Amino acid sequence: MKMTPELKKAKENMEPGKITSSGFLGEDTREIVDIIEKDEEIFKNLDLNFDEVCEKLQYYLEEGKKGLGEPITVDGKYTVKIDEARGFLPCPFEDGIFRKINATLINNENNEKIIYSELSLHLLKKHHFCQGYGSEFRIDPLIIKKIL
Amino acid sequence: MTPDINPFVLFFASIFTSNILLSNFLGMCSFISVSKDIKSSNGLGMAVTFVMTITTALNWIVYKYLLIPFNIEYLKYIVFIIVIAAVVQILEMIIERVSMNLYMALGIFLPLITVNCAILGVALFMQLRNYNLIQSVFFGFGSGLGWWLAIMALAAIRKKVDKAPVPAALKGPGITLIIIGFMAMAFIGFSGMLSVQ
Amino acid sequence: MSSVLIAPLVIGILSSVLAALIAVIDGIVNNYGEVNISINKGRKNVKVKGGSPLLMTLSEEGIFIPSACGGRGSCGACKVKVLSDVGPVLPTEAPLLTDEEIKSNIRLSCQIKVKSDIEIEIPEELFSARQFKTTVESIKNVTHDIKEVRFRLENPKEVEFKAGQYAQLVVPPYGKIKDITQRAYSISSAPSQKNYLEFLIRLVPGGIATTYVHQNLKEGQKFDLVGPFGEFYKRPTKADMICVAGGSGMAPLKSIIYDMYENNETDRNVWYFFGARSLKDIYYLDEFKKLEEKWPNLHFVPALSEPSEEDNWKGETGLITDVLNKYLKERIKSPNGREGYLCGSPGMINACINVMTSNEISEDKIYYDKFA
Repeated sequence: MKMTPELKKAKENMEPGKITSSGFLGEDTREIVDIIEKDEEIFKNLDLNFDEVCEKLQYYLEEGKKGLGEPITVDGKYTVKIDEARGFLPCPFEDGIFRKINATLINNENNEKIIYSELSLHLLKKHHFCQGYGSEFRIDPLIIKKIL
Repeated sequence: MTPDINPFVLFFASIFTSNILLSNFLGMCSFISVSKDIKSSNGLGMAVTFVMTITTALNWIVYKYLLIPFNIEYLKYIVFIIVIAAVVQILEMIIERVSMNLYMALGIFLPLITVNCAILGVALFMQLRNYNLIQSVFFGFGSGLGWWLAIMALAAIRKKVDKAPVPAALKGPGITLIIIGFMAMAFIGFSGMLSVQ
Repeated sequence: MSSVLIAPLVIGILSSVLAALIAVIDGIVNNYGEVNISINKGRKNVKVKGGSPLLMTLSEEGIFIPSACGGRGSCGACKVKVLSDVGPVLPTEAPLLTDEEIKSNIRLSCQIKVKSDIEIEIPEELFSARQFKTTVESIKNVTHDIKEVRFRLENPKEVEFKAGQYAQLVVPPYGKIKDITQRAYSISSAPSQKNYLEFLIRLVPGGIATTYVHQNLKEGQKFDLVGPFGEFYKRPTKADMICVAGGSGMAPLKSIIYDMYENNETDRNVWYFFGARSLKDIYYLDEFKKLEEKWPNLHFVPALSEPSEEDNWKGETGLITDVLNKYLKERIKSPNGREGYLCGSPGMINACINVMTSNEISEDKIYYDKFA
């Protein structure tokens, strides 16, 4: 299937080394639109809403910042640790730049863990893009369901 | 052999009475998928008109001066497609250089036009009906405009229908096809007014 | 000729003609020819081959515009004033340009392509930035995730810079990464060491350059650097210098402090607050202790926010911002006024600015590395 020039550029930007050292696609060889479509389906089946999920994850990220780099317990149930680095990351779809802020969120009750950044939240909310299978920063709907 | 029709009559006929989309049902796939969005429909309609006019004229020249002299008219299907693909490619390159804004606006639609059956259809009609060069150009231009008109109309209707309570099973392609059917029926009202051949 | 042959022959010729036409048009359309770049009202003129981004075109001519992201459009360091018309502001430029900048014709030089004659304005200092060919002299671990890397300059052999400035490391392709990347790091060596450039580099997970430095860089390896750049340096006043940095943020401050000591500027009071989590994140303790003995007005105050039992830490504890606040309120008398010098993550910098402004340091006297 022919891709639009924007999608082709986005796929190029997602390669390892273009924006982050391991890229956004992980081991996945599918086209971006296929990844998005499949994940949208899974979200629907699990009864998850992209905007709600993003809001919750953003809330934990903000609370986590209060730890100033140390793990901090939020709402009694979650441990959040924020790592910050200098510089910005551009979105692969070329529609914005984001600070390099990574959050590690652990649900203390079932020990499920997820790592995400401000950029991955933007990708999730605006583009419904969870990142490819195998990517360290993939926001997998199954894990989200267990964590949130 | 060449039908005695005034090119202007042909022009209007190809837009209304013999609309390439609604009377001949050619170019359906992008018609259905792109009419979700009015802006894209506009861009696509513009691109299709452009390409249709140029390729019809070019194909006429290639047919008359290359295929007929060598007695290989049966190759018209392959040759027309080759010409269409080349024209689209060249147009894409030139537009990218000359007007970045237009290139961004058209986006992926330019390469997608190569496989739009309406383009090949118009070229074949032109050949079947033995139009001369002027008639071919007017026919190509008119058909393009007719396609553009139809897709804009459908995009506008779909925008309204989106807000209406459509039964879940018919949402999307279902209701779209029904709408197209109604539009086609409406255009039948034009038939007989002007003739294309 | 047999009709069986004519058909494929005609198709073949038609296709070749069309393909040739496409190739020719491609050559014409994508060839921008030679264009002239006029810099600073004709102070320098370069003739270049058009079609590439301004940043790359200039660096090929030996003029280095700073770029912390290597031309990817994510840092905003490569802003250049463009006096000619280069088209509308691109979507990749917009997030990094303020409305005022756009009005004054400031553009991101890594995003705009040079397609015709162009007139630009750049700060004079950039003319002294160079590309240096160097050899890696030493790589030392100062903590579990920070390496001190020292480069010996080969060509040119000497560098001139102000303490506090930064340079860009040119990281070659490695592993799955196919492009050259450039990243900016503050220089930690003093300007008196003209033949060397030293950096403190902390490993950032997923970071392209830091992963390379920590896993691939070898002593004796040849390496390119570009610089110096930057507006973070000591201001020549008599005010007390209140410096705060943690982790690899120590780099520019180390350069400034050693530079001051070598130039006998020891009348000035310098307070350096170094924040870390536990003992394994602190380094250079001995070096600073020795320097304090020779320079009474230098005060090195490390603070651990979570010292572990084994650390046996006798120094200050708590968040660096709290320690800073305590000292500013109770321990530091500043008859000559105060200036703030910060280096760290945006979160830390903001927190420190808050503490400083509530302790008689006005915001225009707080200086920090802006290439975050």
